[in-house]
Amino acid sequence: MLSRSSSGTRWRVRPDGPDKVTGQLKYLTDMSAPDMLYGRVLRAAHPHAAIRSVRTERALALPGVEAVLTWKDVPGLNRFGIARADQPVFCEDRVRYTGDAVAAVAAATPEVAEYALQLIEVDYEPLRVLTEPEEALAEGAPQLHQDGNLLHRSEYRRGDADEAFGMCAHIVEATYRTPRQMHTYMETEGGLFVPGEEGRLTVYSPTQHGLMDRLQLSRILAVPPESIRVVSSPIGGSFGGKDELNVQPYGALLARVTGKPVKIHQSRMESVRAGLKRHPMTIHMKTGADASGRILAHQVRVLADTGPYATLGAEVLNFATEHAVGSYAFGAVDAVSISVFTNNGMSGEFRGFGGNQALFALEGQMDRLAEALSMDPWEFRRINLLPADGTGPFGQPISATGGALKVWNALGESRLWREREHLTESGNRPPWIQTGVGAAFVMHGAGLGYGIPDPSGGRLLLAQDGKVEVAFGFEECGQGLLATLEQMLVEMYGLDASDLRLVIGDTDAVPDSGSSTASRATSMMWQALKRMQKPFTERLLAAAAEAASVSVECLRIGNGGIYDIYTQKRVMTYQELAAAGKDPIRAETSFAYPVSPTARIGAHYLYSYAAVCVRIEVNRLTGRIRLLDQFHAVAAGPVMNPQGYLGQIEGGSGMALGFTLSEDAVMEEGIYKTGNLDTYLIPTAADLAGPVEVLPIEDLPEGDEHGPRGIGEIGSVGLAPAIAAAVRQATGIWLEKLPANPALLQDASFLGRKGETV
Amino acid sequence: MKSEKDRIRLKPWTCEINGGRVSLNISPSRRLLDILRDDLGMTGTKRSCDIGRCGACMVHMDGVPVNSCLVPAYQAEGRSVTTIEGIGRDGVHPVQQAFLEEGGFQCGYCTPGMIMTVIALLDEHPDPEPEQVEEALSGNLCRCTGYAAILRSVRRASERIIRERCGPGGKEDARI
Ligand code: FES
Ligand code: FES
Repeated sequence: MLSRSSSGTRWRVRPDGPDKVTGQLKYLTDMSAPDMLYGRVLRAAHPHAAIRSVRTERALALPGVEAVLTWKDVPGLNRFGIARADQPVFCEDRVRYTGDAVAAVAAATPEVAEYALQLIEVDYEPLRVLTEPEEALAEGAPQLHQDGNLLHRSEYRRGDADEAFGMCAHIVEATYRTPRQMHTYMETEGGLFVPGEEGRLTVYSPTQHGLMDRLQLSRILAVPPESIRVVSSPIGGSFGGKDELNVQPYGALLARVTGKPVKIHQSRMESVRAGLKRHPMTIHMKTGADASGRILAHQVRVLADTGPYATLGAEVLNFATEHAVGSYAFGAVDAVSISVFTNNGMSGEFRGFGGNQALFALEGQMDRLAEALSMDPWEFRRINLLPADGTGPFGQPISATGGALKVWNALGESRLWREREHLTESGNRPPWIQTGVGAAFVMHGAGLGYGIPDPSGGRLLLAQDGKVEVAFGFEECGQGLLATLEQMLVEMYGLDASDLRLVIGDTDAVPDSGSSTASRATSMMWQALKRMQKPFTERLLAAAAEAASVSVECLRIGNGGIYDIYTQKRVMTYQELAAAGKDPIRAETSFAYPVSPTARIGAHYLYSYAAVCVRIEVNRLTGRIRLLDQFHAVAAGPVMNPQGYLGQIEGGSGMALGFTLSEDAVMEEGIYKTGNLDTYLIPTAADLAGPVEVLPIEDLPEGDEHGPRGIGEIGSVGLAPAIAAAVRQATGIWLEKLPANPALLQDASFLGRKGETV
Repeated sequence: MKSEKDRIRLKPWTCEINGGRVSLNISPSRRLLDILRDDLGMTGTKRSCDIGRCGACMVHMDGVPVNSCLVPAYQAEGRSVTTIEGIGRDGVHPVQQAFLEEGGFQCGYCTPGMIMTVIALLDEHPDPEPEQVEEALSGNLCRCTGYAAILRSVRRASERIIRERCGPGGKEDARI
C-alpha cells in the first residue's frame, strides 16, 4: 500500500509546501497594486430574457466609478469558448442563464463598484425558461441558439443489438440520474489585470492553460496574443472548473479602458451563479447476458443538460459515451447520447469528464445483471472484461497494459472485499444500522483523444546563474505538478532540487505544453524529460569537457555539477559551467499526446484502470450513509511522486463522496437554490475519517513507451458505483439517483428489502 | 475615493495583531477578514465563502479560533488576534512541520485556516481522540485532499508536540 513509510526517500516535501503552510504563498487573488480599481460584473437578472435596453449613465456618474462596459465596448470578438466560441463576453440582446454578463464596472472601492452595479438599468423581457433537456427538445420550445437546442449527439453501434437482446437469458434495465456537482475550488475566480507599456497587458488569473487564455483574450481585445502575458499559477483548486475563461475578459477589458490595474475576486455566490458544474445526466441502460453470464447486448441512452453555452459540452458527451460502453466485452452495442442546451447553469469540464456519470450507470448494470444471474459480482465482471487487452470501448486499438485484470484481481484479494462474505446481518449493531461492502471496476481515458489537437512539449536550459531551468506550460492547481517535476528531474537526471528552477504558469516564459487537463500533465512531462535527457546531457558534457579540457566520455552530470566518472569527483559546478559557456546550453522538445490509430473522434489510446471497494453503513432511521473503509487498486504505470499519487486518489475519492451522497447544485426555474456552502454540502473531515488504502499497480509491458498514465481523474470515478453496490448489500435498495441523500433512504420502506429502487 | 459619508463613519480602531499593536481609522462594521487582507496586506488568511462555513479565513482571537469573515471590526477592538503570519516565526511550528511532512495540503488554499484550527485543537488537547479531531475540523473545508492527509498531519503533529513536551528531553529526529 502506498504511504509515507512505504515510499522511503521517494516521499518528499513539496517545493511549494513551505510557502503554503506559512501562508506566504501569494495566490493570484491575493495580489494587489497601487491605485488599483475593483472590478465587478453585472449578471443577468433572469435565466432567459430579451434585453431591451441597457443604460449605464447613472452608474458612470457615481463618484469613484471609472468605467462601465457593455458589449459595445468589446473591440474584438464578443464571444469565448475553448472548443466553440458561443458564450458572449457581454450579452447583446438576450440572456440565457443567470450567470450571463451584461455589464462590468471598475471603481475605486468594492463598495462603490457594488453600488454602481445597482445603478445600471437593464430592461428585460422575460422569455420562457427551459429547465429540462426534454423540454428543450420538445416541439415549440424556444430555440436558444441559431442551430437549435441540441449541442451534440454522439452515437456508437456495433452488431445488431435488437437481435442480441433476443438471445439474452437475462436483461436488466435502469435509469440513472446524476447531480449538478460543483467544483467548489476553495479559491473563487479572480485575479489582477495590469496594463503596461506599449499596450501590453498582464493578466494574473488562475487557469489550467495560460496560452489558451491568452489566445481567447487576444480575440476579445483584438490585439496580438504576444501583447498579453498570462500568469496563471498558483491556483487554489480548479478540477476543470477554471480551464475555460471566467472573469478574465472583464478584468482585461476594464484594465485596458481605465489604464489602471483592476482586481476582481468573485464572491462565492457569484462563483456558484456564473461558474461551470458537472453535467447532470439521465442515463438509461439496458444490458443483457446469456445464461452462462456472458454479456451479449448493451444499450445506452444519455441525456445531458449542458446549460446555455457549449464550452466543452460536446467533448464531455463523447467521453461519457465512450465510458458508458467501457471495458467489457459486449457483443452488440447501441449507444446514443445527446447534450442539450437549457437555461440552467453552465455545465462543462469537471474532473472525470463525463466518466463519473457513465461509470455509475455502467457499474450499476453490472451489479444488477450479476444479481439477476445469481452470480458473484466479482466473477461476473471478471468473465466479461475485454479478453483481448489492447482494444478500447469503440473497438479502437489502445496501448495494452493488462491493467484492467490486474486491478480487478487485486480487489478480489483485498481485505475489504473478503470481508464482504463475513458481514453478518446485524452483529452487535442496532437493527436500523445496516452495513454493506461493494465494489466497482472503472477505467478512464487520458489526453484529449483522437481528432483533437493535443500538442505538448517542454524546455531545459542551463541559465546564466547556473540553475538548470525547466519550463513547461502547465499549471500548479494543487495537484503537485511542481513537486512531480522536481522529483522526476532528481530521479531521472540525478540532479539535486537546489540545482533546479521550475518555470511554469507564465506565457512569457513557457513553451506550449497544452492544457493541465485530461490527466495528461505528468505523462507529458515524463515524455518530454525522456526526450530531452540525451541531447541536454550531451550538450552539458560537451561544454564541460571543453571548459575543463577532459574527455567527454569521462564525465557525467550529477548533483551540483559535472563529475569525473573515474574519480567520482566533481569537475565543475553548474555555475562554473554556465560562466564558462559561450552559447546557452538548452534542449527543447515538442510532440503530441499519443492517439489511437482510429477514426473515432475523442477515442483514447492511454487508459488508467481502478478497482474500488468500500464498506458503508446505512442508518435506516436517519437515512444517512456513512463511508467507513475504502480500498483502491490503481493501474496507471509507474508512480512518479508517491505523495502526489496518494493525494490524487484520496482527494478524487473525497470529491466522489460528495457526488454520491450530498452534493447537488439545485436549480429551480433556472435559479440556483444552493447559493453558498451552507446549502451546497461538500464532505467534511468527519465524512472521510475512515481508512483509505491505495495500491498502485505499476508494471507495464516490456517495451512500453508511454510511462506513467494519468491519475488525476481515475480516483474520482469509482466510488459512486462501489457505494451503490454496498447500499444494495446493506439494505436491498438499488440507488439510481445521486446524490443518495438521507431523505431518499428514509422514505424507502424499512423491511421491504428486495427490489426497491430509489 | 471615499465619499464624505464614508469619511464621517470612520472610527479609530486598535487591535493587537500577531503581537503588534495596529491602529487604523475604519468603519466599525468592516469585517476583520477584509481589514487583514485589504488594509494590512496580510493575505495568508483566505476568503472563500464569506458566511462562516469553510474556515479558510480562520484566525485566533484571544487564543480561540474564529472565522474572521464573521467578525466585525468592533468585536475585535482591543483583542489579540493571531493569523497564520504570526505562526512559526521562530522556526516552523510543529503543526506546519507535520503538514509539510505528511503532505497535508494540495492547492494550499484551505491550509492556513486549517493550521490555525489544528493549532487551537492541539493547544487544548495535545492528544485528541479521533472524534475531537473530526469535531474540531468540521468547520474547515478542504476540496483537494479528501482529508486523509490532513488527518495524518494532525496525528503526526500531536505525536511531535507530545514528544517535545513530555519526551525524555532533547528534540526528536527531524528527518521525515
Ligand atoms: S470565508 Fe470565512 S468561513 Fe468561509
Ligand atoms: S488543499 Fe486545496 S482546499 Fe485544501
